[in-house]
Amino acid sequence: MSSKSISRPYWLSVIVIGLGLVCLWGGLSLPAASRYAGIGPGAVPTFIGAVLVVLGLLLAIQIYRGEPFEAQGTENADPNLPMNLRAFLLALVAAGLPILTLKSFGLPLAAMVSFALVARSFGSTRLGWDLLTGLILGLLSWFLFDRLGLQLGGLLPLAGI
Amino acid sequence: MNSFEYLLHGFGVALEPMNLLWALIGSALGTMIGVLPGIGPALTIALLLPVTVSIAPTAAFIMFAGVLYGAMYGGSTTSILINTPGEAGSMMTALEGNRMARSGRGAAALATAAIGSFVAGTLATLTLTFVAPLVAELAFIFKPADYFALTVLAFCSVAVVMGTSRIRGFISLFIGLGLGVVGIDKLTGQPRLTYGVAELLDGIELTVVLVSLFAIGEILFVASRYSQARETPLKVSGKWMTREDFSRSWKPWLRGTVIGFPMGALPGGGSEIPTMLSYTLERKLSPKPEDFGHGAIEGVAGPEAANNAAAAGILVPLLTLGLPTSATAAVLLAAFQNYGLQPGPFLFTSNPDLVWGLIASLYIGNVMLLVLNLPLVGLWVKLLSIPKPQLYAGILIFALIGIWGVSGSEVDLIVMLIIGIAGYVMRVYDFPIAPVLIGLILGPMAEYQLRTALASAQGNPMTLVETPISITFLAIAALIFLAPALLRRLRANA
Amino acid sequence: MHVRNLFAATVVAASLSTAAIADVSVMLPANPGGGWDGTGRQAFAAMNAAGIYTEGVNFTNTGGAGGTIGLAEFQNSQSGKPDALAVFGAITVGAIMLNSSPIDLSTYTPIARLTAEHLVIAVDARSDIETLEQLVEQMKADPGAVPVGGGSAGGVDHIALALLAQAAGIAVGDLNYIPQAAGAETVTGIVNGTLKAGISGISEFQQFQDQGRIRILAITADERREGLDVPTFKEAGFDVEIANWRGILGAPGMPEDNAAEWIARFDQLNDSAEWQQVMQTQGWDSYYQSGPAFGEFIAEENARIGDILRGAELVE
Repeated sequence: MSSKSISRPYWLSVIVIGLGLVCLWGGLSLPAASRYAGIGPGAVPTFIGAVLVVLGLLLAIQIYRGEPFEAQGTENADPNLPMNLRAFLLALVAAGLPILTLKSFGLPLAAMVSFALVARSFGSTRLGWDLLTGLILGLLSWFLFDRLGLQLGGLLPLAGI
Repeated sequence: MNSFEYLLHGFGVALEPMNLLWALIGSALGTMIGVLPGIGPALTIALLLPVTVSIAPTAAFIMFAGVLYGAMYGGSTTSILINTPGEAGSMMTALEGNRMARSGRGAAALATAAIGSFVAGTLATLTLTFVAPLVAELAFIFKPADYFALTVLAFCSVAVVMGTSRIRGFISLFIGLGLGVVGIDKLTGQPRLTYGVAELLDGIELTVVLVSLFAIGEILFVASRYSQARETPLKVSGKWMTREDFSRSWKPWLRGTVIGFPMGALPGGGSEIPTMLSYTLERKLSPKPEDFGHGAIEGVAGPEAANNAAAAGILVPLLTLGLPTSATAAVLLAAFQNYGLQPGPFLFTSNPDLVWGLIASLYIGNVMLLVLNLPLVGLWVKLLSIPKPQLYAGILIFALIGIWGVSGSEVDLIVMLIIGIAGYVMRVYDFPIAPVLIGLILGPMAEYQLRTALASAQGNPMTLVETPISITFLAIAALIFLAPALLRRLRANA
Repeated sequence: MHVRNLFAATVVAASLSTAAIADVSVMLPANPGGGWDGTGRQAFAAMNAAGIYTEGVNFTNTGGAGGTIGLAEFQNSQSGKPDALAVFGAITVGAIMLNSSPIDLSTYTPIARLTAEHLVIAVDARSDIETLEQLVEQMKADPGAVPVGGGSAGGVDHIALALLAQAAGIAVGDLNYIPQAAGAETVTGIVNGTLKAGISGISEFQQFQDQGRIRILAITADERREGLDVPTFKEAGFDVEIANWRGILGAPGMPEDNAAEWIARFDQLNDSAEWQQVMQTQGWDSYYQSGPAFGEFIAEENARIGDILRGAELVE
């Protein structure tokens, strides 16, 4: 975000307060005291929730005052670039798709699709190669880690293998 | 037997051919991930955790130790040759090391980093050898109130020191603490914040959070702001090390070790702060302070020594008290627990082969790493030519295996996606990541020790400030909390 | 391989409806490497070695929450199946109640109880408490002032202490029980003064007595144990016997013929030299019981543990 206009991401503090309330609600539904320790299982979650709510409000004040939020620098990323929404969504789909595909399609196929999606989101145009690399990587890891004793599920569960 | 005899015995274990092979695999893997972006030692060991099912504990820990040390070596290579620190602990190295490489003294920078890492690693391991058994006895003196005070100190320091804003630091910390509460309450057996999801009863796994925040969050962030600008590594040029380089390096190596080791042993210390302190100190002490910013060799030698010593330092509280002080240590603790082992004072007596084999392997690993990183540095630089799209795609696959392979649970994959998005948002809005992990790791311990202390004292809160140890820790914590300006000035100076 | 087996199974099952050739599925509701995992895998390895059951075995590890997560999954996917077994243990009984898990053990098919470890209670080696009676005396006087450490809340260690309290006329709710992460942690707590006493399995505590850190006062078995010169709880005047047992369950609704077959196989296993050898090398004590008798035992444990947990106000 450059100096064009100060962004006011109030939603950040909404999320923090929301998390705090979830914690607070859970904490308050548990006994707050116990026989000998004095504080029971509910005390600490209640405390954490309350602090998060307060921190969320403080964050809102900071945002109101125009606190700058600069993206962190990291390798291969330029924090000053505008967000590439398409690339972000592709990578997000790549990370989320295995929730649906891993169990039924097996690791190698799920890996193939996710690999190609991430590579695409980073601007790779060789879809065929990426699919192939992903499949080989998935197969190799499946055999290696299966031998090491991991439960990676079937190789191709749809075919009953 | 005394420490020395145990150590000799340990060498017997570590020098078995298979164990040497594991040390080599670990060292090479560690160097590799140190060079590559996006994966650190904690994440790597987390992804390797599943092998604990099929590998003997001694072999596994020898390999993990190689990864831990190797990452520190490898991180310096990228800092010097392409000015992008592979690890947080190599940030300071990039400042001077890259300048040195630009002015044709890359070889000297690499040499002082590698030899400094070796010297510090060896000295720190030596200290570990003789200090650890003594610290182990502390476990019988340390009471729950002391542990509680120590964790409070860690929380304050990590939230205040990391990142740019105290509020955001504490938000990160408390999110971590909140995640740590999820699951069955240890003291009463009641489920907390699980909201009816059975898979959450055992809590949110550290490895899931680690993989999500670091791997998934990083992939999303880099994808959304991917900079195609290719950084070609600088050529390794110049003489390895002249007599002058050496005479300017050896004192910073020693000072870096002295700073790094104890800081690594303290919770929340990590490797960022000791390297920063070492850098600041070397600039103050240098006879040629004007060199700093233009490639001062002291500015590479000191911080590199400090980060390796810190890596060894984390092993002291981990092995002796079962107290993890960083994310890497917490993952190692998880590995111990996978084997049904509980690090602590009794580990030294019940599993001498494991503990002393591990310590001996640290000496051996250091020698291996020196060889891997000086003559063979060109090999590792080649890794940087892996095209980035495929590199990040590969990281995602390993992240998936690391999560799916352990639990086989879709709930974990959903948690991964949610926390991954959170990791993305935190990067965009500059919330520090480390406090989340520290909160998750030490939060449950803080609560447990607090409630145990109170239960043991039948609810009398004065028990928390009864021992000199707890008073000291709590006082330092208060100081850190109340005087952030001081620390910020330190940062600004660095 | 699997497909072929299944095919073969269908063909054979059609012609000779008695023999079950399909692989048996075994749920190990713990992470790999733990006690339940070992019990299941070693039992089937011994069965194979002894030639009692040599067909394929599919193990699934689903750890968490005292076995309740694995059993819930087992119940959903295997109910009514002829060849589906699960490993479980004493801890599961309490965990089901503590986690309000929907699992009802009485709907499962009891197969066999295999092994057990008895518990011991210990104090600091430097303590002036010499006998269990003295410890109980102090607890009676002021239960809060005697913090006792042991395994997880509602686990076997906790239940053992509660039974001791009941036998001594102390209200279970008055106990100051502090769960610890492991036996070694309990010992550390005893030595640094946080705990007055600790309860754990013999194998965990014996080494610390040998090192001179703790003094074991009594054991929860019905008779004294060789190599450990301590009285039983009964000898000390408290009628308590409890063990951390492990056993095998069949899926809910397992056909009766199959259940009988599996019970027979485990009976044979128990008599086999191979299994005796496994127990000896692993340091497990035999605690064998099978079929309906085991089912009654589970029901009794269920009632006894339920009483205790309600008394300790851990469940409603």
